[in-house]
Amino acid sequence: MLGTIIRGVARQAQRHPLYVGLNVFGLALGIGVFLTLALLVRYEYNFNTGLADIQRVARVDAHWMMPGVEAKEYPESTFRSAPFLRQDFPEIESSTRLEENGVSLQKDGHFEEFDEGSVDPDFFKVFGVALRSGRVEEALSQPDSVVISEGAARKIFGTVDVLGRVVTLNHGEKNYAHTISGVLKNRSNPDFLTRYDFFMPITKNDEKQDCFIDWGGDCGAIYLKLHKPSQIDVINAQLEQFIKQHAAGTDDFSIGPHPERTFALSLVGLDKAHFYDAHLQYAQDAINQNVVNSIALIAALSLVLACVNTVNLATARSALRAREVALRKTFGATRKALFIQFMGEATCFVVFSAFIGLALSEVLVPEIALITGKNITIDYGFVFKILPIIIVACSVLNGIYPAVVLSGYRPSLIFAATRMASGGRFAERLRNSLTVGQFTIAVSLVICMLVIHHQTEFLRDANCGFAKQGLLIGHQISADTLKTQKDILREIRNVQGVDFATFAVLAPNPNRKSRTTFDYNAPTGTVRVHVLTDTVSTDYQKTYQPVLMAGRWFDLEHLEDVLPTGNGKRQRRTNAILNASAALKFGFHNVEDAVGKTINDGGGDVVIIGVIRDIRFESPHAAVYPGIIFFNPLSDNPLYLPIPAIRFHGVSETVMKSRLEKAWYKITPNMPADFEDINERLSSYYEDDQRLGKVFTEGAIVALMIACLGLYGLASFAATRRIHEIGIRKTLGATGGQVIALLLHGFLKPVVLACVIATPIAWAIMRNWLAGFDQRIALSAVDFVVAILGAIIIATVTVLGQTYRISRAEPARALRAE
Amino acid sequence: MFIQLSNIQRLYRSDEVETTALHDVNVSIDAGEFVAIMGPSGCGKSTLLNILGTIDRPTSGQYRFAEHDLTTMSEVMLAQFRRENLGYVFQSFNLIDELTIEENIDLALIYRKIPKAERKERVAAAMDHVGIAHRARHYPSQLSGGQQQRAAIARAIVGKPRLILADEPTGNLDTENGAQVMDMLQRLNDDGATIIMVTHSPSHADLAKRRIDMLDGQVVVSVRNVL
Repeated sequence: MLGTIIRGVARQAQRHPLYVGLNVFGLALGIGVFLTLALLVRYEYNFNTGLADIQRVARVDAHWMMPGVEAKEYPESTFRSAPFLRQDFPEIESSTRLEENGVSLQKDGHFEEFDEGSVDPDFFKVFGVALRSGRVEEALSQPDSVVISEGAARKIFGTVDVLGRVVTLNHGEKNYAHTISGVLKNRSNPDFLTRYDFFMPITKNDEKQDCFIDWGGDCGAIYLKLHKPSQIDVINAQLEQFIKQHAAGTDDFSIGPHPERTFALSLVGLDKAHFYDAHLQYAQDAINQNVVNSIALIAALSLVLACVNTVNLATARSALRAREVALRKTFGATRKALFIQFMGEATCFVVFSAFIGLALSEVLVPEIALITGKNITIDYGFVFKILPIIIVACSVLNGIYPAVVLSGYRPSLIFAATRMASGGRFAERLRNSLTVGQFTIAVSLVICMLVIHHQTEFLRDANCGFAKQGLLIGHQISADTLKTQKDILREIRNVQGVDFATFAVLAPNPNRKSRTTFDYNAPTGTVRVHVLTDTVSTDYQKTYQPVLMAGRWFDLEHLEDVLPTGNGKRQRRTNAILNASAALKFGFHNVEDAVGKTINDGGGDVVIIGVIRDIRFESPHAAVYPGIIFFNPLSDNPLYLPIPAIRFHGVSETVMKSRLEKAWYKITPNMPADFEDINERLSSYYEDDQRLGKVFTEGAIVALMIACLGLYGLASFAATRRIHEIGIRKTLGATGGQVIALLLHGFLKPVVLACVIATPIAWAIMRNWLAGFDQRIALSAVDFVVAILGAIIIATVTVLGQTYRISRAEPARALRAE
Repeated sequence: MFIQLSNIQRLYRSDEVETTALHDVNVSIDAGEFVAIMGPSGCGKSTLLNILGTIDRPTSGQYRFAEHDLTTMSEVMLAQFRRENLGYVFQSFNLIDELTIEENIDLALIYRKIPKAERKERVAAAMDHVGIAHRARHYPSQLSGGQQQRAAIARAIVGKPRLILADEPTGNLDTENGAQVMDMLQRLNDDGATIIMVTHSPSHADLAKRRIDMLDGQVVVSVRNVL
């Protein structure tokens, strides 16, 4: 039996290389894409799940409900709450704080950046991470201890055998020597701790920072390990009371008499955090679950498409084999034997295709890893678990029609039939509807691809309220003396090629933000708005080039333009500029109306002297926050953690950066310069959408390819089957042109129908997707028309060769062919 | 002269062999004739009929049809010529399985610029003429052989062709149905149609006005039947 099957397969491959090639290649493509995307989806769904007892580990999130803006949730919260949580909730088994810092390693005059997490000694207990060398009990016991990841150890030392060695790390502009007290063991599953290169203990010195003692501060995240997963809800229910009890007060560190009105805490289970965090501010590693699910959908669709193809071809082909079946039956083959033969042949094809598909995913996986920036590799344990399922499913789909239908034919009927069977009207309808399905998917994906592409392109070029070209943003300056700041500003202004330079607290992708609530006493009542504050120095307008919509910009002639204080409350009237969103929130009729009005936050009055168009320093998904800008020309006070920005022209970016670095290191040799352009600064906001676009592009190409393969197979099958019909038509006077028109109409009808179905589907999906952007394009009919015309043209080209061949058939010969 | 074939030669070449299907054939046929072509298998009858029907081209020689010289016509012009002048009846009927009887008959008109209403009328009349009107909406596979051949004849006459070509029209039919088909062809001839028929049946050949015998690609005898 096996011999017959293999001989059957080999003979088919030899006699019908096109059919077998289409079948194998189409299926291999589908399986390859499925495997690759399945690995990507698995990566996302497995995120964090490798950590021990992840179901009972929770993170403490902070919620701020400020007047005039939407409530916002942050994956970080004040460390002030940590001891109270331990004290109030016996459900907590262990806990750790985690403060993320950037550290750098100075090597040959360059800074290499690393991620460092400062944690409590219970860190190992909470997450259950293991050390490959060192002891978890002691690893974080000394203030100068440091635990290093395997990856970082290899990068810095070239080996993982580094226990006890000393590494000098630069943080806060100073170098510190640390002794390596542990090397982390690599975890096979990705998790949010993977990005950290070092872990250090939180020191007594760290704990003097404001954010450790201020209820309104945020240093990092608190992680709690509970006794039971269900206790997350138990604690959540008591947190409002907890805040009332501990955060109320009128001192500098509390949140007023009613903290619960503006502030809340909540626990988020870490097992859900990877997807949950997608809607949070400043969450790292998070991904929208819808994106992952749509990738899973594309994976499933590509496999389904490929299977549909083989089913289509199998039903078409099997009709041609009817005579063979009839002969075999006449000579005594049983139905069972034929069933086994057809199933066996199908399985042979599928197994062969599956291995080619696996080879294909070997090529695709590194590609996808590169596109998505995720560390995805082929996990053979996983692959060999799902591959057999795919093989069985595809084999059944592929073989069931010929196996059941053909083996049931009555030989006499087949011999009596004068014409080649087409598998009946049912099979034809099935083939057509399958082709419609394939093209519906392909065309939908192409439309989505075009819309996503246009949206990302739009975002890249979109007006963000400042001039993006020729702008470089530097590293946050922690030097807090007026002299050093002035020296740095002077030095970078003097760099050849720099037109303007300025300092500001905010910059594209801001490091830290501070917000205040201002009151405006409108004739109709008091309007409270929570605004994001920025303080800028001289030449800000010339460097960023914001668009002034009303009023005037700051100047040194007006005494009240200058912010009277570096840090703390203002003692006198001060002028400020609002952004358009803030002007709108305060309820001014138009931007001109805002100029000259006074607002107050408890310090000296603030007079609005101008309104600028909204400046977008953050994600295009979220609305721009209401903002207020103060002016500090560095005459009396330094700025708090300012970020330098320069505008240049005439030289390349690379040259400019190296000139800036040279000037920078003259003043602050221990602080990285890190000048970046806007695209580098903002990439984290745009990367996800660009990745989605790339995945959709690849998915659309594959879907279209598979669909066209199927169409091509059908056309070549029809070419054999319809040659007789065309002979009759030509005998009756049809010209070659009329025959081509007739055949194209037949082949393209399912494609056109697919376009009709795909249009509303893609429209709904893309409308939903675009709704997630604050800055977005309108859905354009052009994308739909382009996709539909493209699909029709590609489909036409696919069938044109076969169509032309049939139309050229000589009628006398065609009629003899029966 | 209505139809004039002069020195017609037809060679079939494959990689290794060259077969002469027709060798120096000269035939003239007048309008209103009913010609039967007879001869053993492989003598070139069907090739001759195909050339007459312009669905095969002679390798050399000349084919004149009334005022047309068909040997020099392009493919497109030939297609147009066929749809306006010729009607076909085949041994195996050659109806298209996927179309109904009505649609099959309409095929002979669909490539001409005839209004839909008129086409419908003519198709109905042709079906009436051969007695299959009650089968209009059926598919060929649902009809008996005799009914299928009558449908094929309806298709051949619906376009009012100047010449009807019949390739063993009774070959797949029983005696009774065969007689009916012959009767129908005779009546068409009586009404003025020119008919050329290939047949294996001497008795059917005797019903034609003229008989052409062929052997090895050549015309050997051409005799007028005395009716």
